[in-house]
Amino acid sequence: MLELTVMKNLMIAKPPTRAILPKTSLPQAPPRNTVGEIPLEFYKDEEHIGYDRAGRKLKKQARKDQLDSFLDRSDDPKDWHKVYDEYNDEYVELTKEEMGMISRIRQGKLPHAEVDPYQPYVDWFDWDGKGHPLSNAPEPKRRFIPSKWEAKKVVKLVRALRKGWIKLDKPKEKPRFYLMWGDDLKVNEKTANGLAYIPAPKAKLPGHEESYNPPVEYIPSEEEINSYQLMYEEDRPKFIPKKFDSLRHVPAYAEFIKEIFERCLDLYLCPRTRKKRLNIDPDSLLPKLPKPKDLQPYPTTCFLEYKGHTGAVSSISADPTGEWLLSGSRDGTVRVWEVQTGRCKKVWDVGGSVFCVAWNPNPALPVVAIAVSNDVVLLDPEVGDEEVQLNIAKLLAVQPSTSEPTENTPLISWKRHDKLRGIQLSHQQNVVRVSWHNKGDYFQTQQQSCFGTSTIKAAKSKPFPQASWPPFMFVATKMHVRVYNLAKQELSKKLITGLQEISSMALHSGGDNLILGSKGAKLCWFDMDLSVKPYKTIKNHKEDINAVAFHKSYPLFASCSDDLSTHVFHGMVYSDLMQNPLIVPLKILHGHQKGVSDIKFHPTQPWLFTAGADSVIKLFCN
Amino acid sequence: MDAGERQVQVRFTTRLGSDLRVEATAFSLPVHLNRYGLSQIINTLLALDGPRPFDFLFDGELIRTTLEQLYLSKNLSAESILVLEYILAVGPPELQSSQPEKDWVSAVNGVNPSLILSGSYDSFARAWFPDGTCGSVLKGHSDAITSIAVAGSSNDTDLDVITSSKDKTLRLWKVPLKPSSSTLSSVRIFKGHAASVQCVAANPSNTQVCSGSWDSTIKLWKIDSEDEDNEDEQALKKRKLDGAKQSIAQVTAFTTHKEHTQCVAALEWPEDRYIFSASWDHSFRQWDVETSINTLTMTCSKALHCLSVGGEGSLLVATGGADPVLRIWDTRMPGTVVPVLQLTSHTSWISSCKWHRQSPKHLLTSSYDGTVKMWDIRSKVPLQTVEAHKDKVLCTDWWREDTVVSGGADCEFKLFKYTPIEWL
Repeated sequence: MLELTVMKNLMIAKPPTRAILPKTSLPQAPPRNTVGEIPLEFYKDEEHIGYDRAGRKLKKQARKDQLDSFLDRSDDPKDWHKVYDEYNDEYVELTKEEMGMISRIRQGKLPHAEVDPYQPYVDWFDWDGKGHPLSNAPEPKRRFIPSKWEAKKVVKLVRALRKGWIKLDKPKEKPRFYLMWGDDLKVNEKTANGLAYIPAPKAKLPGHEESYNPPVEYIPSEEEINSYQLMYEEDRPKFIPKKFDSLRHVPAYAEFIKEIFERCLDLYLCPRTRKKRLNIDPDSLLPKLPKPKDLQPYPTTCFLEYKGHTGAVSSISADPTGEWLLSGSRDGTVRVWEVQTGRCKKVWDVGGSVFCVAWNPNPALPVVAIAVSNDVVLLDPEVGDEEVQLNIAKLLAVQPSTSEPTENTPLISWKRHDKLRGIQLSHQQNVVRVSWHNKGDYFQTQQQSCFGTSTIKAAKSKPFPQASWPPFMFVATKMHVRVYNLAKQELSKKLITGLQEISSMALHSGGDNLILGSKGAKLCWFDMDLSVKPYKTIKNHKEDINAVAFHKSYPLFASCSDDLSTHVFHGMVYSDLMQNPLIVPLKILHGHQKGVSDIKFHPTQPWLFTAGADSVIKLFCN
Repeated sequence: MDAGERQVQVRFTTRLGSDLRVEATAFSLPVHLNRYGLSQIINTLLALDGPRPFDFLFDGELIRTTLEQLYLSKNLSAESILVLEYILAVGPPELQSSQPEKDWVSAVNGVNPSLILSGSYDSFARAWFPDGTCGSVLKGHSDAITSIAVAGSSNDTDLDVITSSKDKTLRLWKVPLKPSSSTLSSVRIFKGHAASVQCVAANPSNTQVCSGSWDSTIKLWKIDSEDEDNEDEQALKKRKLDGAKQSIAQVTAFTTHKEHTQCVAALEWPEDRYIFSASWDHSFRQWDVETSINTLTMTCSKALHCLSVGGEGSLLVATGGADPVLRIWDTRMPGTVVPVLQLTSHTSWISSCKWHRQSPKHLLTSSYDGTVKMWDIRSKVPLQTVEAHKDKVLCTDWWREDTVVSGGADCEFKLFKYTPIEWL
């Protein structure tokens, strides 16, 4: 009952809502009363409740007493959903929808079942560009007034521009044309920070073999596929072509993820800076030298050995005709060999360690000079014809001097060597070197001085008829070479070698070029027309150079050393003064078991004699 | 015979006698056959009593490879029939005798079939007889003998022999042909060279002798006795003054060739008209005797030590020198730099080379590597190699067509006999 009153109140309080009550209900009859929305108290004491459309009074219905209304309620089963309408003064039966609405309200739901409270929200507001203001304060005034400081700054800049204090960049010109098909792999391009652009390696484009239906020749046979298993994994082909009936039968590429990953690794691990390398062809740094093959002939192979000495061979010398070879050894013998056959023709036992031997370069006067301990011995090798032999016999016949030694007597005495029938020149010290003048009229000897340095002395006497005075004499001290002009009797040149200790010297037949061998395993070539300093210094040997030699007619020279090797060079001297000598290393000759102590060229053939400390003399031929 | 092996058609021809002739049909033979296999087939075809080795010629060259290699090298079609000529092969020689000498043997001469001459470094020359006995000893030189030439004989009993020596002279000897041991002294002495005489050669008519020397001259001498009588009086007087006991006639040269610039190492006088000379100056020359003109000069790249003229019509010159290559030159091509043939098998200098006196194809060389090799110029490989000496072989020569004499630095003088062969 209480609920009903509430319901009645509600209905009374909101009479117009009746109009918007469920549309689903039957079309309702318009209200009887037409008084409008006025308090109904106005008609409280009246007999009518209002007026109908025709303006007739609507009479209040007679009040039923409590008992009657109870009886009515108990008779009418639908009474419980009847509501008294005060406005119209009648009972209204609530429809089923209205009952449902009431029950929904009672459950706390929305009264109308068709209303969805959770329907999607349509944001009709346009949020773009609408910042959320920090404050709702209006814009200050200063926002609308031009800044004085800015004006000053502008004035300053304008002045600076006008006076040229600030220079503006020229607008960059965009290139009008560009290479449409330019090479993407251009590597010379520089990026802004100066690094060369390194293009990513390009993946190979698929070819016919990657086709789902490749030509038969691309498909490997069973054997080939099996043979791939034997290969190293890196060498195996990455993709084996297969044939499919249609494109949709092609499975996913199994290696896809792995390959993409590897490609990413490639890109990631690619060095970002390019190493600066000098791009010089190493061959271009070498001087352009002719090939040794084109410079033949030169000695290459050993065909003959001259065996017989029992000690180290210290010195050799060839006969000017090339028929004989003279050799001196530490075993105290001097031997004469026949060059062609290697036969020993003559043996002289000179009774002491032989330091140096020299055959007279004058072919008309075959005499040999031998340096043995303190003596120089001149001997007759007996190779000339009768007339020559007579001459030599006359020359070598020396009267023994009987006079007592005085201050005027020369330091070197000339005596007759009885045993070997020659001349003996006695010196104070060991004679280490003896050499003839080119014409064979003079010879010089070199003694080992007390200080250990080398000096070369010209022979004091003239044993042979005078032909022409030798104009120059070359004297090698430990570090320098002095050139004496003997005609003027003065020092004409001093060659600065830069070597530690000169061991040997050889003069080119032209007379202007000199080679020196040194204890520091260096070989120096002097062009005396050019400078007093070496034209070329070659460090070719591993150990001390013992001897150097020039060929008389062929453009060859050679050096031999304690490292068991002999080096042969091409040394061309041009008559044109503007052209420097051409030096080309040709050949390294091996074969000796011990150090090579002396070398001499054959006077006419491009052959080289080498004398070793292993007591063997070798002949190297072209 | 392997069934899978390829076969080629081969037909054999020969110029040998009818008893060694096989029928001229083509046989199909496996390609792996070499000379030995082919020789076996010929032996089987002929059904000989004992095996006889044969050599096979194709296109004028001896076969030294298998047939397959021959086909490949000659670019022959496998269908074509290969025509091979077979000849009797030269078998390995037998050592006949080995005579020890006092010193290095430096010269041998086997021109005369009844005796062999050898010269030695002990300054003696010796005549050896076929039984291996030493006949006469030629005593007179004062230094090593370098070369020996035979200048025929004026009568049947003795032989004119000229020796050259390092003592700068040549000597003429009359060596008796009958086996008798005696010491001979020279009949005539040829003086005039200023240095060691390296080589000597007599002309085929045995009237003149030429000699080459270290003084780089070639001198021509007359050997007949009339010339000696015509010697100028001054020389006669001088000789008389020298002493009556020296009865040796002295001969001086009538011509000197000085074109060579270095030692003349070898001479050969194949015909009366011209001389060939080889020198250390890398050239060999031909000289016209009548006009004394150098008619031909050919230059090699190495110093020359020996020379021999032979071949078909004596037109080929074999030279050996300061390298292990035997070079064969054709004199019809003057001015060429490259020889016709270069035969390389030796390992050291070639000391002497000699053409066979009858055969135009066979050649003998000796080398410092201790071997004596026989060559057939139709093959690049030597026919036979003999390790003749323990040291350098200094000289070698043919004797009596099938025997080789050699002397070396091991002081031995050896004879090797080849199986009798038809040299053509």
